[in-house]
Amino acid sequence: MAATFFGEVVKAPCREEEEEEEEEGRRETPEDREVRQQLARKREVRLLRRQTKTSLEVALLEKYPCSKFIIAIGNNAVAFLSSFVMNSGVWEEVGCAKLWNEWCRTTDTTHLSSTEAFCVFYHLKSNPSVFLCQCSCYVAEDQQYQWLEKVFGSCPRKNMQITILTCRHVTDYKTSESTGSLPSPFLKALKTQNFKDSACCPLLEQPNIVHDLPAAVLSYCQVWKIPAILYLCYTDVMKLDLITVEAFKPILSTRSLKGLVKNIPQSTEILKKLMTTNEIQSNIYT
Amino acid sequence: MASRYDRAITVFSPDGHLFQVEYAQEAVKKGSTAVGIRGTNIVVLGVEKKSVAKLQDERTVRKICALDDHVCMAFAGLTADARVVINRARVECQSHKLTVEDPVTVEYITRFIATLKQKYTQSNGRRPFGISALIVGFDDDGISRLYQTDPSGTYHAWKANAIGRNAKTVREFLEKNYTEDAIASDSEAIKLAIKALLEVVQSGGKNIELAIIRRNQPLKMFSAKEVELYVTEIEKEKEEAEKKKSKKSV
Repeated sequence: MAATFFGEVVKAPCREEEEEEEEEGRRETPEDREVRQQLARKREVRLLRRQTKTSLEVALLEKYPCSKFIIAIGNNAVAFLSSFVMNSGVWEEVGCAKLWNEWCRTTDTTHLSSTEAFCVFYHLKSNPSVFLCQCSCYVAEDQQYQWLEKVFGSCPRKNMQITILTCRHVTDYKTSESTGSLPSPFLKALKTQNFKDSACCPLLEQPNIVHDLPAAVLSYCQVWKIPAILYLCYTDVMKLDLITVEAFKPILSTRSLKGLVKNIPQSTEILKKLMTTNEIQSNIYT
Repeated sequence: MASRYDRAITVFSPDGHLFQVEYAQEAVKKGSTAVGIRGTNIVVLGVEKKSVAKLQDERTVRKICALDDHVCMAFAGLTADARVVINRARVECQSHKLTVEDPVTVEYITRFIATLKQKYTQSNGRRPFGISALIVGFDDDGISRLYQTDPSGTYHAWKANAIGRNAKTVREFLEKNYTEDAIASDSEAIKLAIKALLEVVQSGGKNIELAIIRRNQPLKMFSAKEVELYVTEIEKEKEEAEKKKSKKSV
């Protein structure tokens, strides 16, 4: 309690938890509950089967056995897998994840088109235990756990190997050198304790950290003792860029992608073609 | 730590950084690539053309501009900042000509632009210009020049340089391939510029714009057809070099 200048007695703000305050604060009105539930429904991550477009009842990797899972997050990583891996074999779509958050360009949450869903899962026809995920959308913090649950399940198997590819802007890279002298784009790796192979590039040094969905997947794998490695490309061009995509090339020689890549020169041509369908640049920068 | 010292241009950080200037250099990297080559009798400027919207008039989207009859420049970075700098430079070129009855030297106009940029790193309430420029031309003594300026207001003379997106890759290519032979003739210098750009330009010759200045001649902008001719020649030479290689190995 406190007295103000005008003589009124007001309740002073106090961080001490009092019994009555707790109950009052926690009692939400039916409207609040409705709004909260609506928001939760809007932000739900749904994993849909390809043909029937119905939700998968169990997690993706609980339904199908998996020995290798390669996840590309971000447009440059997706372009790399599209040109080098997906063109070297026959991949079949097994499902897609639909989700909405404030980053999505559309306000309509119920009728997301396939271009907006952009978290598509494939498996190799000749070896159905090899999975691939192309994730071009942003998965918000509150949706990451849902995504992991719907994909990996609540008790994942440990005999699979996960490889994650993603990009980050080079200005996020903390180093004593100036960013101008860094050889961007460059590759750094971070792996879980159970990943025994060596990475094809230097490991990510402290105090750098990984963010967003790649961090969520890696943490999940570390907790569940699944061997996983993240290849992070630091670049100064975040939009779709040939040099950035080619910076992922050293990964082609690792065990993670061995056997999945056949024709590298042809893949480079396909990559160049992907680049030509690029969006009109903004007029601010020339 | 950066966030405490990067709000005002006029504030140094404890370890001597002017963060706004460094951030301006990031803005330059958002512009498309420009490359400049100094040959013996020719200077070449090549740029990656911006993709224009369907209804946009292509002629108004130019990265290469003449500052005077014998000097031209290419920039990378914020379009509007470039327009302001170019206008000031053009006025200065004419003012100089009227005052001292001589055209500007390339170094003079580069120094003018660099001084202008530096002024904006030292006033409060203003931010640095977010552009780097490649300025080329011939002086009265007939020697070719190439200068590069950056948002901090420094300028240096170069034999060949690149600015904008992926400039590092282009510069590495130039360091490997800029030889006395490579710039021996005009067409070789032009081909070197195109080859350097092809390293990073996404879709080949049709996205390259080229301009040259020859001694005592005004700026010449290449048409798309002329660029294509050079690109085809380069591709032919590449094929022949590969055939020779495979013959040797057999």
